[in-house]
Amino acid sequence: MTDLLANLALGFSVAALPYNLGFCLLGALVGTLVGVLPGIGTVATVAMLLPITFGLPPVGALIMLAGIYYGAQYGGSTTSILVNIPGEATSVVTCLDGHQMARQGRAGAALSIAAIGSFFAGCVATVLVAALGAPLTSLALLFGPAEYFALMVLGLIFAVVLAKGSVLKAIAMILLGLLLSMVGSDLETGAGRMTFDVAELSDGIGFTNVAMGLFGFAEIIRNLEMSAESRELVNAKISGLMPTRQDLVDSSGAIARGTILGSILGILPGGGAIVASFAAYTFEKRISKNPERFGRGAIQGVAAPEAANNAAAQTSFIPLLTLGIPPNAVMALMVGAMTIHGIVPGPQVMIKQPELFWGMIASMWLGNLMLVIINLPLVGVWVSLLRVPYRLLFPSIIVFCCIGIYSINNSPTDVLIAAIFGLVGYWLVKYDFEPAPLVLAFVLGPLMEENLRRAMLIARGDATVFLTRPISGVLLAISLILLILAMLPMISKRREEVFVE
Amino acid sequence: MAQGAKSSTGGGFQLKIRGPREFFGGLALVVVAAIALWASSSLPGQQGFAFGPGTAPRIFAGLLMAVGIIICLTGLLVKGPAIESFAVRGPAYVLLAILVFAATIRGIRVDVAGIPLQIPAFGMVFSTFVAFMVSLFGSSEFRWVESLLAAVAMTAFCVVLFVYLLQLPFNLWPMF
Repeated sequence: MTDLLANLALGFSVAALPYNLGFCLLGALVGTLVGVLPGIGTVATVAMLLPITFGLPPVGALIMLAGIYYGAQYGGSTTSILVNIPGEATSVVTCLDGHQMARQGRAGAALSIAAIGSFFAGCVATVLVAALGAPLTSLALLFGPAEYFALMVLGLIFAVVLAKGSVLKAIAMILLGLLLSMVGSDLETGAGRMTFDVAELSDGIGFTNVAMGLFGFAEIIRNLEMSAESRELVNAKISGLMPTRQDLVDSSGAIARGTILGSILGILPGGGAIVASFAAYTFEKRISKNPERFGRGAIQGVAAPEAANNAAAQTSFIPLLTLGIPPNAVMALMVGAMTIHGIVPGPQVMIKQPELFWGMIASMWLGNLMLVIINLPLVGVWVSLLRVPYRLLFPSIIVFCCIGIYSINNSPTDVLIAAIFGLVGYWLVKYDFEPAPLVLAFVLGPLMEENLRRAMLIARGDATVFLTRPISGVLLAISLILLILAMLPMISKRREEVFVE
Repeated sequence: MAQGAKSSTGGGFQLKIRGPREFFGGLALVVVAAIALWASSSLPGQQGFAFGPGTAPRIFAGLLMAVGIIICLTGLLVKGPAIESFAVRGPAYVLLAILVFAATIRGIRVDVAGIPLQIPAFGMVFSTFVAFMVSLFGSSEFRWVESLLAAVAMTAFCVVLFVYLLQLPFNLWPMF
């Protein structure tokens, strides 16, 4: 306990340095700004803004990126509530009740409850990250290659189970992601793999290119298909930001439950903020005494998912910082950012660079505080951003993405690769394939292969090692059970459909 | 790809595509897996206890092919929604804008039918402005004055942000 306090004290002493505070603020603001804009999700936001952190010192860069991440979450909820456009996938459910509240003239209450819920969740999650960091790190040191491999399999299976739509298609996306990650030089022998003799592919396909293509460009192409009318603004007057006493009483339980659910789902690999917000909303509706109020402006329907997505956003740092395994696509980008700054994510970070680890955690709390203080008064500014017509907005995003991708390696080829993945992403959506599992697998691919190969080598080619070692055996068993559970309803449903024919 | 087996009769059970998204989606995966298998076929495989560079790609490509086939088959058995039509205008202009940016930012050499074509480096100001203008056409609503102003503003913003504030080493102006 004293350790924890001492560590947090160290963290706050780092995070409270004026320039780190500045980076935190800047990250939170920029994140909110981009999060408010419809059509670019969190992954694209972080990918887009990655280059602007290159010139910073490592601690500052990571603090800023973390700020961008939760700022984007926050910005997403603002537009959900005010104009019924979810800026981020995580705030889709917030639209349901948040926008209804806004139409009933209670936009202020909805916004402030969302902010308070997020802040509370952020506080709890910060403590959780700090508390779980040390024990998980020591656990991580017990992990051998077989265990790491099994853990990543579990993470990918989670991504499959939690993906919407067909389980088979999600598995296909995972496999495609793994395959794509193998393009380029082999780690051990240096042999070029599946490069088709293209020199630019010999270093592999850059993760930011894939992410920008699938989440940035593909989204824009999708959005261009929709009519302009679906982006209609509601000029609701925002008055009375303060929630009433009754609002606070009504939502306190929902915030607490959302925080718990979000924290758990955030830690699990493959999960993350999107699932957390959906789960929290469904849970809240199910236990409510009057579920019919949901969808008609129930304040719990805003409080729970907002708390959950913020909690999950932060606890998803736990597997990254302790095990070195990114649990979702945004965290994968953080790996990219860390690598650029010469930091290898994993248990070593906490031991060798405590000021980085704890400084980042402390900055999360400060960032959340800043978001509450700064964003509520700035709501008007964010909303006015939405008045920028999409016909001008999307070219700006395209140009910004292009420059961002180009700046990473000064390589025009990277820009072209991202463009190709933009088209791939568009195709995937049309055929009901989800890009998120692909991206996660793409990131985990090299790590997975490396550990698989090492485990096999250590076991002298005996594949049963994954089952006989206790930790990895248990992890794989859980994966298998999860997969079966996810497949069962699908199979029975399919059979019914077949028989109907 | 759409000219796959549209319908064929087999036995007493009529084979037709009930779920086109599954059928063609699965088919595409099979094609991708086949390409991956072909591309990694020349790589050395398992040597003794050690995986070769080709082992893992072949394992995953094989699995992808299997899953692709299953998805494809479900498309034959289970009724599913039709494929949404693909837009042309949006993707075309977005793609063109990105291509223009990539080709002009620092120059590129391409061989078109054996004739080497050198595109000089036009620099960031030009690339950004032109890419912005081209992508504007992707939307059906286009207004000249507003668009030009926005393009100038965005170019200026990017120059200030990336070159002056972030100090990234970009050429601003054309270099021939």
